[in-house]
Amino acid sequence: MVKLKSLLLGLMVIGAVAYFGGGGTFASFSAETTNPGSTIASGTLTMSDQVNSGTVCASAGAASANNVNPSCASALTLTNLAPGVPSPLATAKITIQNTGSIDASHFYMFAAAVGSSLSAALTGGASITSLPIAALQGSINSGDSILVTYGPHTQTFVAGAAVAGAATAIPVTAQNANFAYPIGSTVTDTSGNSLPNNTLGAPLTSGTSYSSFTIAALQGTISAGDSIVLMSGVNTQTYIASAGASPGATSISVTAQAANASYPSGTTTFVDISKTNNNCYDAKTTVGGTAGSSQGTDLNFNPLTGNPYCSALLLYVQETTGGKYYCWAGKGSSPETANGMCAAPISVNPTGAVSSGVKSSTSLPVGALNGNVAAGDTLVITEGSKTDTLTESAGGDAYFGASSLTVSGTLANSYTTAATITDSTAQGALNSDTTDTISNFDTAHNGTLGKISLYPVTANGTVSTTNPVQLGNASSATSTRTFQLGVYMSAPSGTNQNPLQGLSSTFGITWHLDQ
Amino acid sequence: MSLLVVGALSSLTAASTYALMNTESTNVLNTASSGTLTLSNTVNSGSACFSYGAGSTGNTNPGCDALFTSATLNYPGTPVTAKVKIKDDGSLDVGTLSIAMSPCAVAATPGAPAPGGGNPCDAAGDNFALQETDSSWNPTFCWYPDYSAGACTVSAGTLNYFSTNAPPANPYNLSLGYPSGPVHAATRYFQVIVQLPTGASNTLQGEAAVFTLNWHIET
Repeated sequence: MVKLKSLLLGLMVIGAVAYFGGGGTFASFSAETTNPGSTIASGTLTMSDQVNSGTVCASAGAASANNVNPSCASALTLTNLAPGVPSPLATAKITIQNTGSIDASHFYMFAAAVGSSLSAALTGGASITSLPIAALQGSINSGDSILVTYGPHTQTFVAGAAVAGAATAIPVTAQNANFAYPIGSTVTDTSGNSLPNNTLGAPLTSGTSYSSFTIAALQGTISAGDSIVLMSGVNTQTYIASAGASPGATSISVTAQAANASYPSGTTTFVDISKTNNNCYDAKTTVGGTAGSSQGTDLNFNPLTGNPYCSALLLYVQETTGGKYYCWAGKGSSPETANGMCAAPISVNPTGAVSSGVKSSTSLPVGALNGNVAAGDTLVITEGSKTDTLTESAGGDAYFGASSLTVSGTLANSYTTAATITDSTAQGALNSDTTDTISNFDTAHNGTLGKISLYPVTANGTVSTTNPVQLGNASSATSTRTFQLGVYMSAPSGTNQNPLQGLSSTFGITWHLDQ
Repeated sequence: MSLLVVGALSSLTAASTYALMNTESTNVLNTASSGTLTLSNTVNSGSACFSYGAGSTGNTNPGCDALFTSATLNYPGTPVTAKVKIKDDGSLDVGTLSIAMSPCAVAATPGAPAPGGGNPCDAAGDNFALQETDSSWNPTFCWYPDYSAGACTVSAGTLNYFSTNAPPANPYNLSLGYPSGPVHAATRYFQVIVQLPTGASNTLQGEAAVFTLNWHIET
């Protein structure tokens, strides 16, 4: 038995040696391969933004160091506008290209946030009482949260006073800089509906009535009567603040109302939509529209209160990509016109002499259209004391860039290339439009609410809401899309527009891609 | 099974919580500026009176210089003339220039020893003419009473007719061809002429006509 036990132990030892040491001791054959230097490279999602044929503005490499370029070229610089008179220059082409290697599944457009960029560096650790900035885009209220960002570094300051548009400094409550923010760091007023930076601190239960919310420390200021919109996934609900709340507050009092869904803490965001995005702001002109003329600052009947010109100027954004048209903003959108046209009034000249007489679906060569003309629209041609009307023929929809109109009617006069052709139908529609103003665009389409999702346009007036790619990568055929941004100063019937004399509105448009 | 559940949660969390790649650009400082439509009014060699100047309200200035004063005495058959320069002081071109006269009212000439009791605003009262000129004050077009090129026939018109037919509610459009103007920075020149008729009655002695002329422009 002892011998048997010894034998078995011996076999175990041999087995163990064979298992653990056999490879090095007994093997005659071996083989081995190695895959060295494997690399995992991330793709890129970057964009470029070009106005007309100007310099291409890239998101990558911007001074903000976070793939955000908040200071691409202005699209419009319009002077001496008059009510009801379409300006030949009142539109600009904007080309947006995905310059990265990754498709963008979402492509958005919205009103620019109130903000600017640092015009001088902040010293890390230093007490900051004022933020030096390039001309402020928009206006800031005292108590607003001011977010400074450079790459991964962020810091929120509190505005110590109201700041008007174009200001070059924002007074803030003293705070030590948590980083040496360089020139070009982005500066954003996050209290202007621009970012969802406020969250619930305790959940709301569906069906339960609430007269107050527990919140994470409030960023910004809430006033009694403000509309507070809760957002969680697809659920939204609006409450009315019954009392004001200051920055840092941990609760908000609201008019009692039952929650229409369950809103979890932490991930439920809310915004005060009564704190409108004041991106667009008015100023009095300091230079006459023509040499030696009166200017806005000369006048005593054009107050700036409430940014009246921003509230009157009509805005439109017309997509023109690849000859397919869609009206994303302005009259013609919501609901979308079947032909995809925004009401965009033209002002063009014929490119050849126009003879008098009967026109029947006659081609009328014109300079590249700076607007749209729908079939059936009434066209007015004028030169000096001469004027006639024509009608755009059936089936003759003419879009931005078209080089001819198709007209019917009888001309009593002949015209030269100095004549001007306008579309009184489009102008008439806009003259009674009080909805599609820049101010309303700012409020309805800011970075938090109402971002306009720029679905791919598949035909005039038609988009694909299911296409997983809204702006293809740089090597794809769908990497570039083009838009026409325009404004029109309406002439509402029976309304004196004198208070809008000598004013200048300044505003921004933001384009955003998500992977 | 537990590991599979953890894996699924991680995946969902990553998709909904962590930032994916994104990029953004903003076209800033788009500006749209309105022009101005203002006018200046200069009587004879006086100072320019601006529609938006001192004393004005809403681009209307009711306090510009008077064309005539009671110090200027009229005599039958002798016209008195006020030269008026209307300038488009704004940046936009004038589309329409119009003129209107408030109702004419009679008043006693200050200091007159014995007012005659007549009314220069009546049909048999003062003659009136509106003459457009060039910048050297040479007649170019008579708006009233002749409505023709050249100089006015002053004796053919009356204050009574003009004030009745060109009240503020129905101003007289001073358009001549197109654009009627003046265009921005340009000036139009007018002479407002009044005289007592050659055969004026003694009842018009010591009587004054008081009226207001409004100059109005629109785009």
